[in-house]
Amino acid sequence: MAASGKDFDHRRFAVGLARGLAGALLFALPMFLTMEMWELGFYIDRARLFLLLLVNVPLLVLLAHRIGFERTTTLREAIRDASIAYFLGMVCSGLILLAIGVLRSDQSLNEIVGMIAIQSVPASIGALLGRSQLGGPAVGDEADEDEGAEAEAETSYAGELFMMAVGALFLCLNVAPTEEMILLSYKMTPWHAIAVIVASIVLMHGFVYALSFMGGHVVEEGTPGWHALVRFTLPGYLIALAISLYCLWTFHRLDGIAMTQVMMTVVVLSLPGAIGAAAARLIL
Amino acid sequence: MTKMSTARHTETGDPHVVEWLTGLFSAACVIAMIAWMGVQAIGQRDEAPDLSVSVVRQEARSGGYQVEFEIGNAARATAAQVLVRGELVDGDAVVEAVETTLDYVPMQSKASGGLIFRHDPAGLAVRIAAVGYADP
Repeated sequence: MAASGKDFDHRRFAVGLARGLAGALLFALPMFLTMEMWELGFYIDRARLFLLLLVNVPLLVLLAHRIGFERTTTLREAIRDASIAYFLGMVCSGLILLAIGVLRSDQSLNEIVGMIAIQSVPASIGALLGRSQLGGPAVGDEADEDEGAEAEAETSYAGELFMMAVGALFLCLNVAPTEEMILLSYKMTPWHAIAVIVASIVLMHGFVYALSFMGGHVVEEGTPGWHALVRFTLPGYLIALAISLYCLWTFHRLDGIAMTQVMMTVVVLSLPGAIGAAAARLIL
Repeated sequence: MTKMSTARHTETGDPHVVEWLTGLFSAACVIAMIAWMGVQAIGQRDEAPDLSVSVVRQEARSGGYQVEFEIGNAARATAAQVLVRGELVDGDAVVEAVETTLDYVPMQSKASGGLIFRHDPAGLAVRIAAVGYADP
Protein backbone atom coordinates (compact mmCIF):
# COMPACT_ATOMS: atom_id res chain seq x y z
CA MET A 1 0.00 0.00 0.00
CA ALA A 2 1.32 3.39 -0.93
CA ALA A 3 0.67 4.96 2.45
CA SER A 4 3.25 3.10 4.47
CA GLY A 5 6.16 3.96 2.16
CA LYS A 6 8.67 1.67 3.85
CA ASP A 7 7.18 -1.70 2.82
CA PHE A 8 5.86 -0.39 -0.50
CA ASP A 9 6.27 -3.10 -3.15
CA HIS A 10 7.01 -1.34 -6.44
CA ARG A 11 6.81 -4.50 -8.48
CA ARG A 12 3.40 -5.42 -7.13
CA PHE A 13 2.08 -1.92 -7.75
CA ALA A 14 3.43 -1.91 -11.32
CA VAL A 15 1.87 -5.30 -12.03
CA GLY A 16 -1.45 -3.98 -10.71
CA LEU A 17 -1.29 -0.98 -13.04
CA ALA A 18 -0.33 -3.17 -15.99
CA ARG A 19 -3.25 -5.48 -15.27
CA GLY A 20 -5.54 -2.46 -15.19
CA LEU A 21 -4.28 -1.30 -18.58
CA ALA A 22 -4.64 -4.83 -19.96
CA GLY A 23 -8.20 -4.98 -18.65
CA ALA A 24 -9.09 -1.62 -20.15
CA LEU A 25 -7.69 -2.77 -23.48
CA LEU A 26 -9.39 -6.16 -23.42
CA PHE A 27 -12.83 -4.97 -22.34
CA ALA A 28 -13.00 -1.69 -24.24
CA LEU A 29 -11.26 -2.59 -27.49
CA PRO A 30 -14.55 -3.24 -29.36
CA MET A 31 -15.60 0.32 -28.46
CA PHE A 32 -12.27 1.86 -29.45
CA LEU A 33 -12.81 0.33 -32.88
CA THR A 34 -16.43 1.48 -33.30
CA MET A 35 -16.97 4.38 -35.68
CA GLU A 36 -20.09 5.61 -33.89
CA MET A 37 -18.13 6.00 -30.65
CA TRP A 38 -15.62 8.32 -32.34
CA GLU A 39 -18.42 10.39 -33.85
CA LEU A 40 -20.30 10.55 -30.56
CA GLY A 41 -17.15 12.01 -29.07
CA PHE A 42 -17.78 15.26 -30.91
CA TYR A 43 -21.53 15.43 -31.37
CA ILE A 44 -22.81 14.06 -28.05
CA ASP A 45 -24.63 16.69 -26.02
CA ARG A 46 -22.11 17.93 -23.47
CA ALA A 47 -24.65 17.79 -20.62
CA ARG A 48 -25.28 14.11 -21.32
CA LEU A 49 -21.57 13.35 -21.54
CA PHE A 50 -21.01 15.21 -18.27
CA LEU A 51 -23.75 13.16 -16.60
CA LEU A 52 -22.25 9.90 -17.92
CA LEU A 53 -18.82 10.87 -16.59
CA LEU A 54 -20.33 11.73 -13.20
CA VAL A 55 -22.41 8.54 -13.00
CA ASN A 56 -19.24 6.55 -13.64
CA VAL A 57 -17.62 7.85 -10.43
CA PRO A 58 -19.86 6.20 -7.78
CA LEU A 59 -20.09 3.16 -10.03
CA LEU A 60 -16.31 2.75 -10.05
CA VAL A 61 -16.06 3.37 -6.33
CA LEU A 62 -18.67 0.72 -5.53
CA LEU A 63 -17.09 -1.68 -8.00
CA ALA A 64 -13.63 -1.01 -6.57
CA HIS A 65 -14.96 -1.67 -3.11
CA ARG A 66 -15.91 -5.15 -4.28
CA ILE A 67 -13.24 -6.16 -6.73
CA GLY A 68 -10.66 -3.37 -6.91
CA PHE A 69 -6.93 -3.31 -7.49
CA GLU A 70 -6.33 -4.19 -3.89
CA ARG A 71 -8.57 -5.82 -1.36
CA THR A 72 -10.16 -2.59 -0.19
CA THR A 73 -11.63 -2.24 3.22
CA THR A 74 -12.17 1.47 3.56
CA LEU A 75 -14.01 3.97 1.42
CA ARG A 76 -10.78 5.91 1.00
CA GLU A 77 -9.05 2.91 -0.56
CA ALA A 78 -12.00 2.30 -2.86
CA ILE A 79 -11.90 5.93 -4.02
CA ARG A 80 -8.16 5.64 -4.60
CA ASP A 81 -8.60 2.50 -6.72
CA ALA A 82 -11.50 4.02 -8.64
CA SER A 83 -9.40 7.09 -9.44
CA ILE A 84 -6.53 4.94 -10.70
CA ALA A 85 -8.93 2.92 -12.86
CA TYR A 86 -10.51 6.06 -14.32
CA PHE A 87 -7.06 7.46 -15.07
CA LEU A 88 -5.91 4.19 -16.68
CA GLY A 89 -9.10 4.22 -18.75
CA MET A 90 -8.27 7.72 -19.98
CA VAL A 91 -4.65 6.83 -20.74
CA CYS A 92 -5.67 3.68 -22.58
CA SER A 93 -8.36 5.52 -24.61
CA GLY A 94 -5.94 8.26 -25.58
CA LEU A 95 -3.15 5.88 -26.58
CA ILE A 96 -5.36 3.54 -28.63
CA LEU A 97 -7.23 6.35 -30.40
CA LEU A 98 -3.89 7.94 -31.20
CA ALA A 99 -2.45 4.64 -32.43
CA ILE A 100 -5.35 3.91 -34.80
CA GLY A 101 -5.21 7.41 -36.24
CA VAL A 102 -8.58 8.60 -34.95
CA LEU A 103 -7.02 11.37 -32.87
CA ARG A 104 -5.11 13.87 -34.97
CA SER A 105 -3.25 16.99 -33.98
CA ASP A 106 -5.39 19.22 -36.22
CA GLN A 107 -8.57 18.42 -34.30
CA SER A 108 -10.01 20.92 -31.86
CA LEU A 109 -9.33 20.32 -28.19
CA ASN A 110 -13.06 19.98 -27.59
CA GLU A 111 -13.24 17.04 -30.01
CA ILE A 112 -10.18 15.30 -28.63
CA VAL A 113 -11.33 15.59 -25.02
CA GLY A 114 -14.85 14.44 -25.96
CA MET A 115 -13.56 11.35 -27.77
CA ILE A 116 -11.25 10.34 -24.93
CA ALA A 117 -13.87 11.09 -22.27
CA ILE A 118 -16.60 8.94 -23.79
CA GLN A 119 -14.23 6.01 -24.30
CA SER A 120 -12.77 6.33 -20.82
CA VAL A 121 -16.04 5.21 -19.21
CA PRO A 122 -16.06 1.61 -20.53
CA ALA A 123 -12.25 1.53 -20.40
CA SER A 124 -12.22 2.44 -16.70
CA ILE A 125 -14.73 -0.31 -15.90
CA GLY A 126 -12.50 -2.65 -17.91
CA ALA A 127 -9.48 -1.53 -15.92
CA LEU A 128 -11.18 -2.48 -12.66
CA LEU A 129 -12.45 -5.77 -14.05
CA GLY A 130 -8.98 -6.48 -15.41
CA ARG A 131 -7.61 -6.53 -11.91
CA SER A 132 -10.20 -8.96 -10.65
CA GLN A 133 -10.65 -11.18 -13.70
CA LEU A 134 -7.16 -11.26 -15.20
CA GLY A 135 -5.37 -11.06 -11.88
CA GLY A 136 -4.22 -14.23 -10.24
CA PRO A 137 -3.08 -13.87 -6.68
CA ALA A 138 -1.19 -10.62 -6.34
CA VAL A 139 2.56 -11.04 -6.40
CA GLY A 140 3.85 -11.80 -2.90
CA ASP A 141 0.32 -11.93 -1.54
CA GLU A 142 -0.68 -15.54 -2.24
CA ALA A 143 -1.51 -16.56 1.28
CA ASP A 144 -3.88 -13.68 1.76
CA GLU A 145 -5.75 -14.31 -1.49
CA ASP A 146 -6.19 -18.01 -0.80
CA GLU A 147 -7.57 -17.28 2.58
CA GLY A 148 -10.09 -14.91 1.05
CA ALA A 149 -11.23 -17.45 -1.50
CA GLU A 150 -11.92 -20.10 1.10
CA ALA A 151 -14.04 -17.89 3.26
CA GLU A 152 -17.76 -17.74 2.65
CA ALA A 153 -18.79 -14.29 1.58
CA GLU A 154 -22.29 -12.93 1.63
CA THR A 155 -23.59 -10.65 -1.06
CA SER A 156 -26.43 -8.41 -0.07
CA TYR A 157 -29.52 -8.20 -2.27
CA ALA A 158 -28.57 -4.66 -3.27
CA GLY A 159 -25.09 -5.95 -4.09
CA GLU A 160 -26.53 -8.56 -6.44
CA LEU A 161 -28.65 -5.92 -8.19
CA PHE A 162 -25.65 -3.59 -8.43
CA MET A 163 -23.54 -6.31 -10.04
CA MET A 164 -26.31 -6.92 -12.56
CA ALA A 165 -26.41 -3.20 -13.34
CA VAL A 166 -22.65 -3.15 -13.97
CA GLY A 167 -22.86 -6.19 -16.25
CA ALA A 168 -25.80 -4.73 -18.16
CA LEU A 169 -24.10 -1.34 -18.49
CA PHE A 170 -20.97 -2.93 -19.82
CA LEU A 171 -22.63 -4.87 -22.62
CA CYS A 172 -25.04 -2.02 -23.37
CA LEU A 173 -22.18 0.46 -23.77
CA ASN A 174 -20.60 -1.97 -26.22
CA VAL A 175 -23.51 -2.06 -28.62
CA ALA A 176 -25.74 0.95 -27.83
CA PRO A 177 -23.77 3.38 -30.04
CA THR A 178 -24.07 1.18 -33.14
CA GLU A 179 -26.68 1.87 -35.76
CA GLU A 180 -27.71 -1.78 -35.79
CA MET A 181 -29.64 -1.37 -32.55
CA ILE A 182 -32.05 1.20 -33.95
CA LEU A 183 -32.16 -0.44 -37.37
CA LEU A 184 -33.20 -3.76 -35.80
CA SER A 185 -35.94 -2.09 -33.82
CA TYR A 186 -37.27 -0.46 -37.03
CA LYS A 187 -37.33 -3.81 -38.80
CA MET A 188 -39.06 -5.58 -35.94
CA THR A 189 -42.80 -5.86 -35.37
CA PRO A 190 -44.19 -5.76 -31.81
CA TRP A 191 -44.50 -9.56 -32.03
CA HIS A 192 -40.75 -9.80 -32.46
CA ALA A 193 -40.30 -7.49 -29.47
CA ILE A 194 -42.44 -9.75 -27.28
CA ALA A 195 -40.41 -12.76 -28.39
CA VAL A 196 -37.16 -10.92 -27.55
CA ILE A 197 -38.46 -9.99 -24.09
CA VAL A 198 -39.35 -13.60 -23.30
CA ALA A 199 -36.06 -14.85 -24.75
CA SER A 200 -34.07 -12.33 -22.68
CA ILE A 201 -35.71 -13.44 -19.44
CA VAL A 202 -35.32 -17.15 -20.22
CA LEU A 203 -31.65 -16.69 -21.18
CA MET A 204 -30.95 -14.62 -18.09
CA HIS A 205 -32.52 -17.17 -15.76
CA GLY A 206 -30.91 -20.08 -17.59
CA PHE A 207 -27.44 -18.56 -17.48
CA VAL A 208 -27.51 -18.18 -13.74
CA TYR A 209 -29.57 -21.12 -12.50
CA ALA A 210 -29.79 -23.86 -15.10
CA LEU A 211 -26.49 -24.21 -16.91
CA SER A 212 -24.36 -25.02 -13.86
CA PHE A 213 -21.62 -22.62 -14.89
CA MET A 214 -18.90 -22.01 -12.36
CA GLY A 215 -20.20 -19.28 -10.09
CA GLY A 216 -23.77 -20.23 -10.95
CA HIS A 217 -26.47 -19.92 -8.36
CA VAL A 218 -28.68 -22.58 -6.80
CA VAL A 219 -31.86 -22.08 -4.86
CA GLU A 220 -31.83 -23.39 -1.28
CA GLU A 221 -33.50 -26.79 -1.05
CA GLY A 222 -37.23 -26.76 -0.56
CA THR A 223 -37.72 -23.37 -2.23
CA PRO A 224 -39.78 -23.37 -5.44
CA GLY A 225 -37.81 -22.38 -8.54
CA TRP A 226 -40.00 -19.43 -9.41
CA HIS A 227 -38.90 -17.65 -6.22
CA ALA A 228 -35.52 -16.92 -7.80
CA LEU A 229 -37.24 -15.83 -11.01
CA VAL A 230 -39.31 -13.20 -9.19
CA ARG A 231 -36.66 -12.12 -6.68
CA PHE A 232 -33.61 -11.99 -8.94
CA THR A 233 -34.20 -12.52 -12.64
CA LEU A 234 -37.14 -10.14 -13.17
CA PRO A 235 -35.56 -7.27 -11.18
CA GLY A 236 -32.38 -7.97 -13.12
CA TYR A 237 -34.26 -7.67 -16.39
CA LEU A 238 -35.88 -4.44 -15.24
CA ILE A 239 -32.40 -3.12 -14.44
CA ALA A 240 -31.22 -4.16 -17.92
CA LEU A 241 -34.16 -2.26 -19.42
CA ALA A 242 -33.38 0.86 -17.37
CA ILE A 243 -29.68 0.74 -18.27
CA SER A 244 -30.57 0.29 -21.96
CA LEU A 245 -32.88 3.28 -21.81
CA TYR A 246 -30.16 5.37 -20.17
CA CYS A 247 -27.49 4.34 -22.72
CA LEU A 248 -29.74 5.00 -25.71
CA TRP A 249 -30.76 8.38 -24.33
CA THR A 250 -27.11 9.29 -23.67
CA PHE A 251 -26.18 8.39 -27.24
CA HIS A 252 -29.04 10.42 -28.79
CA ARG A 253 -30.80 7.36 -30.10
CA LEU A 254 -34.20 8.31 -28.67
CA ASP A 255 -34.47 12.00 -29.64
CA GLY A 256 -37.86 12.72 -31.18
CA ILE A 257 -38.88 9.04 -31.19
CA ALA A 258 -42.38 7.85 -30.31
CA MET A 259 -42.95 5.79 -27.16
CA THR A 260 -43.64 2.42 -28.80
CA GLN A 261 -40.54 2.75 -30.96
CA VAL A 262 -38.49 3.73 -27.89
CA MET A 263 -39.69 0.61 -26.09
CA MET A 264 -38.80 -1.61 -29.04
CA THR A 265 -35.27 -0.17 -29.24
CA VAL A 266 -34.85 -0.57 -25.47
CA VAL A 267 -36.03 -4.19 -25.73
CA VAL A 268 -33.50 -4.91 -28.49
CA LEU A 269 -30.64 -3.45 -26.46
CA SER A 270 -31.83 -5.24 -23.33
CA LEU A 271 -31.06 -8.62 -24.88
CA PRO A 272 -27.29 -8.08 -24.60
CA GLY A 273 -27.97 -6.09 -21.42
CA ALA A 274 -29.73 -9.05 -19.79
CA ILE A 275 -26.98 -11.45 -20.78
CA GLY A 276 -24.41 -9.00 -19.38
CA ALA A 277 -26.36 -8.80 -16.13
CA ALA A 278 -26.54 -12.58 -15.86
CA ALA A 279 -22.85 -12.97 -16.70
CA ALA A 280 -21.95 -10.43 -14.01
CA ARG A 281 -23.70 -12.56 -11.40
CA LEU A 282 -21.58 -15.51 -12.46
CA ILE A 283 -18.26 -13.73 -12.79
CA LEU A 284 -18.11 -10.94 -10.23
CA MET B 1 -29.22 -12.32 0.58
CA THR B 2 -27.03 -14.68 -1.37
CA LYS B 3 -24.48 -16.92 0.29
CA MET B 4 -21.30 -17.10 -1.74
CA SER B 5 -18.86 -19.98 -1.51
CA THR B 6 -15.97 -20.67 -3.86
CA ALA B 7 -17.96 -22.11 -6.75
CA ARG B 8 -21.71 -21.89 -6.30
CA HIS B 9 -23.96 -19.27 -4.80
CA THR B 10 -26.97 -20.35 -2.82
CA GLU B 11 -30.04 -18.14 -2.69
CA THR B 12 -31.42 -18.03 0.83
CA GLY B 13 -34.81 -19.66 1.30
CA ASP B 14 -35.88 -16.98 3.76
CA PRO B 15 -35.57 -13.67 1.93
CA HIS B 16 -36.33 -10.20 3.23
CA VAL B 17 -39.68 -8.69 2.28
CA VAL B 18 -37.87 -6.01 0.21
CA GLU B 19 -36.71 -8.72 -2.17
CA TRP B 20 -40.30 -9.81 -2.74
CA LEU B 21 -41.55 -6.24 -3.20
CA THR B 22 -38.79 -5.54 -5.73
CA GLY B 23 -39.59 -8.79 -7.49
CA LEU B 24 -43.32 -8.11 -7.67
CA PHE B 25 -42.75 -4.54 -8.89
CA SER B 26 -40.43 -5.85 -11.61
CA ALA B 27 -42.91 -8.53 -12.63
CA ALA B 28 -45.66 -5.91 -12.90
CA CYS B 29 -43.45 -3.67 -15.08
CA VAL B 30 -42.42 -6.50 -17.39
CA ILE B 31 -46.01 -7.73 -17.75
CA ALA B 32 -47.20 -4.18 -18.46
CA MET B 33 -44.57 -3.81 -21.16
CA ILE B 34 -45.49 -7.11 -22.79
CA ALA B 35 -49.17 -6.11 -22.65
CA TRP B 36 -48.41 -2.75 -24.30
CA MET B 37 -46.48 -4.52 -27.05
CA GLY B 38 -49.35 -6.98 -27.43
CA VAL B 39 -51.86 -4.17 -27.93
CA GLN B 40 -49.54 -2.60 -30.53
CA ALA B 41 -49.04 -5.96 -32.22
CA ILE B 42 -52.76 -6.58 -32.59
CA GLY B 43 -53.38 -3.03 -33.82
CA GLN B 44 -53.05 -2.14 -37.48
CA ARG B 45 -49.56 -1.54 -38.84
CA ASP B 46 -49.26 0.71 -41.87
CA GLU B 47 -47.64 -0.50 -45.03
CA ALA B 48 -45.97 2.80 -45.91
CA PRO B 49 -44.73 5.85 -44.01
CA ASP B 50 -46.65 9.14 -44.10
CA LEU B 51 -44.12 11.97 -44.28
CA SER B 52 -44.74 15.69 -43.87
CA VAL B 53 -42.18 18.50 -43.77
CA SER B 54 -42.39 21.84 -42.01
CA VAL B 55 -39.87 24.67 -41.98
CA VAL B 56 -38.66 25.48 -38.48
CA ARG B 57 -36.30 28.40 -39.05
CA GLN B 58 -34.32 30.13 -41.73
CA GLU B 59 -31.31 32.35 -41.25
CA ALA B 60 -28.19 33.60 -42.97
CA ARG B 61 -25.03 31.67 -42.09
CA SER B 62 -21.49 31.88 -43.38
CA GLY B 63 -22.08 29.10 -45.91
CA GLY B 64 -25.28 30.59 -47.30
CA TYR B 65 -28.91 30.76 -46.25
CA GLN B 66 -29.77 27.88 -43.96
CA VAL B 67 -33.32 26.55 -43.78
CA GLU B 68 -33.95 24.13 -40.94
CA PHE B 69 -36.84 21.73 -41.31
CA GLU B 70 -38.59 19.08 -39.27
CA ILE B 71 -40.01 15.99 -40.87
CA GLY B 72 -42.77 13.99 -39.19
CA ASN B 73 -43.91 10.47 -39.89
CA ALA B 74 -47.55 9.99 -38.89
CA ALA B 75 -47.78 6.38 -40.01
CA ARG B 76 -46.80 3.28 -38.07
CA ALA B 77 -44.05 2.35 -40.51
CA THR B 78 -40.47 3.61 -40.47
CA ALA B 79 -38.85 5.32 -43.46
CA ALA B 80 -35.11 5.01 -44.09
CA GLN B 81 -32.82 7.11 -46.34
CA VAL B 82 -35.43 9.81 -46.68
CA LEU B 83 -34.49 12.13 -49.53
CA VAL B 84 -35.59 15.71 -48.83
CA ARG B 85 -35.59 18.22 -51.67
CA GLY B 86 -35.86 21.96 -51.18
CA GLU B 87 -36.60 24.52 -53.90
CA LEU B 88 -36.60 28.30 -54.03
CA VAL B 89 -39.44 29.27 -56.36
CA ASP B 90 -40.05 32.62 -58.05
CA GLY B 91 -43.48 32.36 -59.65
CA ASP B 92 -43.20 29.22 -61.79
CA ALA B 93 -39.44 29.29 -62.13
CA VAL B 94 -37.22 27.27 -59.82
CA VAL B 95 -34.36 29.53 -58.77
CA GLU B 96 -32.37 26.96 -56.82
CA ALA B 97 -32.82 23.32 -55.72
CA VAL B 98 -30.86 21.47 -53.02
CA GLU B 99 -31.19 18.00 -51.50
CA THR B 100 -30.27 16.16 -48.33
CA THR B 101 -30.81 12.64 -47.03
CA LEU B 102 -31.98 11.70 -43.53
CA ASP B 103 -30.98 8.26 -42.25
CA TYR B 104 -34.30 7.44 -40.58
CA VAL B 105 -37.68 8.90 -39.83
CA PRO B 106 -39.09 6.34 -37.38
CA MET B 107 -42.80 5.59 -37.12
CA GLN B 108 -44.91 8.26 -35.40
CA SER B 109 -41.72 10.22 -34.73
CA LYS B 110 -39.84 13.29 -35.92
CA ALA B 111 -36.44 13.92 -37.41
CA SER B 112 -34.83 17.20 -38.41
CA GLY B 113 -32.20 18.56 -40.74
CA GLY B 114 -31.22 21.61 -42.75
CA LEU B 115 -30.83 22.77 -46.35
CA ILE B 116 -28.36 25.43 -47.39
CA PHE B 117 -29.28 27.76 -50.29
CA ARG B 118 -26.92 30.17 -52.01
CA HIS B 119 -29.73 32.60 -52.86
CA ASP B 120 -31.52 34.61 -50.21
CA PRO B 121 -34.95 33.00 -49.71
CA ALA B 122 -36.44 36.41 -48.80
CA GLY B 123 -39.10 37.32 -51.35
CA LEU B 124 -39.09 33.79 -52.80
CA ALA B 125 -41.26 30.79 -51.91
CA VAL B 126 -39.46 27.93 -50.11
CA ARG B 127 -40.80 24.48 -51.04
CA ILE B 128 -39.44 21.54 -49.05
CA ALA B 129 -40.78 18.00 -49.45
CA ALA B 130 -39.70 14.40 -48.99
CA VAL B 131 -39.27 12.93 -52.46
CA GLY B 132 -38.20 9.40 -51.69
CA TYR B 133 -37.42 6.80 -49.00
CA ALA B 134 -36.41 3.19 -48.54
CA ASP B 135 -37.94 0.59 -46.24
CA PRO B 136 -35.50 -0.15 -43.42
